[in-house]
Amino acid sequence: MATSFLDRELKKGSAELLVLSLIEDRARHGYEISKLIDSRSEGMLKFHVASLYPLLYRLESRGWIQGKWVEKAGQRRRRYYSLTAPGRKVLAAQRKGWQQFAEAIRRITGIDYA
Amino acid sequence: MHDWKQIVREGLDGLKLDGAAEAEVIDELAQHLEDRYQELLDAGTPEADALRIAVEPLNSNPSLAEALRRARRPAPPDPPERANHLALMLYDLRMAIRGMRQKPGFSLMVVGMLALGIAGNAAIFSTFNSMFLKPLPFPDSSRLIDLDETAPKWNLHYTGVADVDLFAWREHNTTFESMAFFDVPNFNLSKLGPAQHIRGAKVSSDMLHVLKLKVLFGRDFLPEEDRENGDKVALLSYGLWQRLFAGDRGVLGRQIVLDDVPYRIIGVLPSTAVYPDRADVWMPLAIGRTEDRGWYLGGIGRLKPGVTVAQASADLLRVHRAQIAAGRTANRITSPILTPVRQKYLGDYRAISQALLVAVAVVLLIACVNIAALMLVRASARSHEMAIRIAIGSSRGRVIRQLLTENLVLAGAGGIAGIFVGKLGLQAIAAILPDSMPGWLDFRLDLRFAAFCIVITACSALLFGLAPALQASRVDMRSALHESARRASPSRMRRSALNILVISEIALALMLLISAGLLLQSFYRVMRVDPGFRVQNVLTFEVDLPGQKYAKPEQCVAFYTRYLDRLRALPGVMAAGAATAPPLDGNWGQFFEVEGERPLGPNEKSPVVLQVAVTPGYFDAIGTTLLAGRKFDERDGASKDHEVAIVSETFAHQHWPGRSPIGKRIRHQDHTAGWWQVVGVMRDEKHYGLDAEVRPTVYMPERQLAWPMSLSLVLRAASNPESLIAPARSLLAQLDPDLPMYGVHTMTERLDRSLWARRTYSWLFGAFSAVALILATAGIYGVISYAVSQRTQEIGIRMAMGATPGEVLVNVLRSGMTLVAIGAALGLTGTLAAAGLLESLLFGVSPRDPLIYIAVVLAVAAVGFLANALPARRAAALDPMTALRAE
Repeated sequence: MATSFLDRELKKGSAELLVLSLIEDRARHGYEISKLIDSRSEGMLKFHVASLYPLLYRLESRGWIQGKWVEKAGQRRRRYYSLTAPGRKVLAAQRKGWQQFAEAIRRITGIDYA
Repeated sequence: MHDWKQIVREGLDGLKLDGAAEAEVIDELAQHLEDRYQELLDAGTPEADALRIAVEPLNSNPSLAEALRRARRPAPPDPPERANHLALMLYDLRMAIRGMRQKPGFSLMVVGMLALGIAGNAAIFSTFNSMFLKPLPFPDSSRLIDLDETAPKWNLHYTGVADVDLFAWREHNTTFESMAFFDVPNFNLSKLGPAQHIRGAKVSSDMLHVLKLKVLFGRDFLPEEDRENGDKVALLSYGLWQRLFAGDRGVLGRQIVLDDVPYRIIGVLPSTAVYPDRADVWMPLAIGRTEDRGWYLGGIGRLKPGVTVAQASADLLRVHRAQIAAGRTANRITSPILTPVRQKYLGDYRAISQALLVAVAVVLLIACVNIAALMLVRASARSHEMAIRIAIGSSRGRVIRQLLTENLVLAGAGGIAGIFVGKLGLQAIAAILPDSMPGWLDFRLDLRFAAFCIVITACSALLFGLAPALQASRVDMRSALHESARRASPSRMRRSALNILVISEIALALMLLISAGLLLQSFYRVMRVDPGFRVQNVLTFEVDLPGQKYAKPEQCVAFYTRYLDRLRALPGVMAAGAATAPPLDGNWGQFFEVEGERPLGPNEKSPVVLQVAVTPGYFDAIGTTLLAGRKFDERDGASKDHEVAIVSETFAHQHWPGRSPIGKRIRHQDHTAGWWQVVGVMRDEKHYGLDAEVRPTVYMPERQLAWPMSLSLVLRAASNPESLIAPARSLLAQLDPDLPMYGVHTMTERLDRSLWARRTYSWLFGAFSAVALILATAGIYGVISYAVSQRTQEIGIRMAMGATPGEVLVNVLRSGMTLVAIGAALGLTGTLAAAGLLESLLFGVSPRDPLIYIAVVLAVAAVGFLANALPARRAAALDPMTALRAE
């Protein structure tokens, strides 16, 4: 119970940060974002259709990210998300917050994240 | 090849976005599923499994459509450019109204509390204002001073001004610009339609000059008309002119007949001439310099600019002493007493008005406290939002401005609602005021004050509503942005601020409740006072006999005897009588000495005695109880050697304690009449009101009166006394068609009227304290609910660790009831300290009556318990799993 609770809470709190980080440098489409979260976390974190798209739409409606339809030859059109200027500020703030949080946890628990 | 769009469409049944948006969502999700499926196939997953795995998240989340729809909801419109202030304001306003509509419960609560507080304050203050603060409707009215004389030796606060003193004061004072004196007799107006009774004022010729008013048309009195045997001239009031002559300007020079004396109309008064006593007609006072009829005049003076009341008092006292030195010994007993006009007439209501003002202020305070608590609660719910706004580049000023607008909209809505309700309340108060209130009162809602209330409440809303913005601009993002971090540590400062607010609410509500309890208990006690006469089925009315036609006492006696005989013959009349002053109406002071008692020294007190002249049958009609001896009969007072009196038990007790007064003799101190033999003792009647002091009383037969007197008639009916009005009126018309019957009231009505003030303020107080209790309960409930919601996770963890629901219940209840207990203790201390202030308004109840204190504390504890029990039960019913996951 405790692990699944921790998992859920961590995931919820961090989801925004994860998505914003992944599109910081270049625009990505939804499936790509879910793949990257899966692969970079080595399968620890998974985002399915059901959790990812509501999140993306929410971030978009807040004006932190912006989606654009892109059509490539021989493929169906895909929607690519990129970071907006306010989104960049939120990302910086959330990153700093998490760093401080992780640092605080490390000091208390002795767990080293590095 | 699968139709992915169809699969998504089926999985998201009920997405209900508009066409284009829905197509886009379906497109995007279909692409996602296809990508996933393709990848699984590439990894060698069998086709059937790949399809199942790809589609599974779509089907295992029944609320997905809802989540997507909510996420896609259009964001609020972008704020306009900074430079455009008006557009920015409109935008803020739109956002504020949008916010109010999103939280209707919260908004309604704030608006409702503001409205209650503002309405109560505006209505009561406006009453207070028109009674005590607003200037009288006369120019420079602050310089108008009531002139009277006082006689502590006689136990009389106001005696009226003696006619002798009028001339001395007017001629020898140095502090008054002008002075006027008046007498307010009633008149029978005849020869103009049916006979009617009107209020007159005999005024000295400078009255209009003192009031600084001018006649509407015609002319003022001339000094030579204000002399003995001056011309009989009259000024009509605006109201009487309209009523009798329909505003015809041709009235000048016409005559009106008052008490059978014709007066020539010389002018019409402006409608503002409501002083003295809302008189219908003015005529010259016309007192001769040699007259000495005692103390019966009213007086009003206009101070010279810059003179204080104290200086003027000293000045008149100097004149008064000079009179004594000149040989007027009666002036030793009285001395001049000067009072600002308004205070003289409304002084009785000052204490209660102030108490009510305090009560509404407390209700307003409680409303403010509640709003503050609500705002603080909302603040925490919004600190996250504020942090995000600031994080994404909103300036601090911008965010504060937004909050300001929201709170102003709330305050504005509350204010408007408050003014509406306040207006209704004021109308209700004005409607129940008695006829005896001075005519200059003008009850209108004071808009400046309503604005003041709105500003106060708005300030409290703003102050506490701004907290989230200020906090957010200082807050460190980590805790504000991170949900779980915020949940885990609710701001300690905010919690203690809320606790203090709840405690003060309970303390204030408790103080009001105890005050209301004491007042209502007093009212109940007054209602149960035995008036000393039987109130039911009694009709009273007055018939004044004009001095011209009924010049001799025998004529008066003959008239009343004949009229009473005919009244007694009416079916349904059980008893009939008449008296100079039946209970709750009128006063006639006299001074008596008792045979064999040593004469009073010059400095000894000689309390005034109420003297009532009555006809045979009066005691049966009014229903008083004879304690000893006998009632009057036809022989009493018929001859000089058979003059008698009946005394009240207080009089008997004062002069013959423990002995029977029957057979003893009394006479007027000034020896204007002979010895009267006491033939009976009557039970005390509450002549001046159920809650007023009883004065010693002497009853005398009407026949013993040495001069003509008008009487009030008292009829005791078998049932419904009002059915006797019409027959009594037609009997009167048969005897003398020029005599109007007026002041027609049942005794029950008179008693009700005499209690209107106490009834009104007691119930108003009760209403205010009930509102205070409701507001305070809402406050406790809100704050404890908030605390529970803040602690949901903590409670979940406790329960997961083995705490039982019972323990959780007790835990939450204890924290809430601690606040109630502290508040109640503070309230009790405050009430005990301030209890003396209410003392003058109480009757038969100690301001520290333990029963009421205990009852109120128990009631507050019970209500507090209920307000705590609901959130506590909710906490105890929490499912630990849900609690831990709670968002």
